[in-house]
Amino acid sequence: MGRASRGRAPAAGLVLVAILLAPVQAEIKSGTEFLSPELQRQQADEARNPAFFWVEQGRELFSRKPTPDAQACITCHAEPQQSLRGTATRYPQVDAASGRLLNLEGRIEQCRVERQGQPPFGYETPELLSLTAYVASLSRGLPLDVRTDGPAKPFYEAGKTLFERRQGQLNLSCTQCHDGLVGQKLRGDTISQGVGTAFPAYRLEWNDVGSLHRRLRACSLGVRATQFDYGAPEYLALELYLAARAKGLPVETPGIRR
Amino acid sequence: MSFNARITMPAEARAGEIVEIKVLTRHPMDRGGQSDGKGGTVPRKILNRLTVTYAGEPVFRFDMHTGVSANPFVSFTTKAVATGDLLFEWREDGGATFTRTARLTVT
Repeated sequence: MGRASRGRAPAAGLVLVAILLAPVQAEIKSGTEFLSPELQRQQADEARNPAFFWVEQGRELFSRKPTPDAQACITCHAEPQQSLRGTATRYPQVDAASGRLLNLEGRIEQCRVERQGQPPFGYETPELLSLTAYVASLSRGLPLDVRTDGPAKPFYEAGKTLFERRQGQLNLSCTQCHDGLVGQKLRGDTISQGVGTAFPAYRLEWNDVGSLHRRLRACSLGVRATQFDYGAPEYLALELYLAARAKGLPVETPGIRR
Repeated sequence: MSFNARITMPAEARAGEIVEIKVLTRHPMDRGGQSDGKGGTVPRKILNRLTVTYAGEPVFRFDMHTGVSANPFVSFTTKAVATGDLLFEWREDGGATFTRTARLTVT
């Protein structure tokens, strides 16, 4: 009896280890899947999704000269429907010149300062949100495809660490809820996997369009942790990790979220 | 850009047909009452009324109060009678008005 069962035990142990090492969530789903059918329909319907106002404003800003002697975005990015299609799927990415991690907002601000010679809009201003929503909306339906190797690797690792680290007075990590309790209820809402593919999104709680960093600040507040600034390196790294987690999911900007 | 509107309706309809008109509005609908930092309060500033006329005839009126959310959406139906313009007029606290028109062609 003894010999046979002793022979089997390590094999069973190996299977158990393999199960434990396997990713907790095999399949990452978009936040849309956690919305009610009614909200999903509202998000898809341009006649009822208020976030399209921001896209419209962004489209207008894109082709307007900021000052009479400055260039409009469209001067360089002619035919944005083709030339910028798919751009948003590759952000956040490392800026080759400065070595910094830039998200779409950061790239637009960089363009505005360096190429248009204008003062930056500032994070979370209606203008920057509109332009970001417009540029991201040009990639609607295309799968996210951020780079996590090479120069982006340290940022990815930092984001992953932040996602898995316990933080705040409640001593919670992102992964405890967004991997471990997905689909369960937290107050009136269903816990999603923390995918940011719809941002900048119209959030019902805000009655407004906001950036992913505004959403992350709300998460930090929720677990009573330090809220980082808009565009802070911590949130940028986390944004990269979230985008890498959501690799292959379509861009849904401008979405609706609760 | 504190006001904008998106009106969705069929461009054409047969005489006697019921058409649905969807109106999405961009407006902060600020209900006021917050401190203005100088000892006073911020006054209410919402869209308080939307009226719609079709070929000169009033067909729809929507009185809004502070319970209406920001960026309100409303839809209503009317009967297509004759080719004409639908004139949408919003009245904002303080007296400002915003208008939009949409043409309905009746075949």
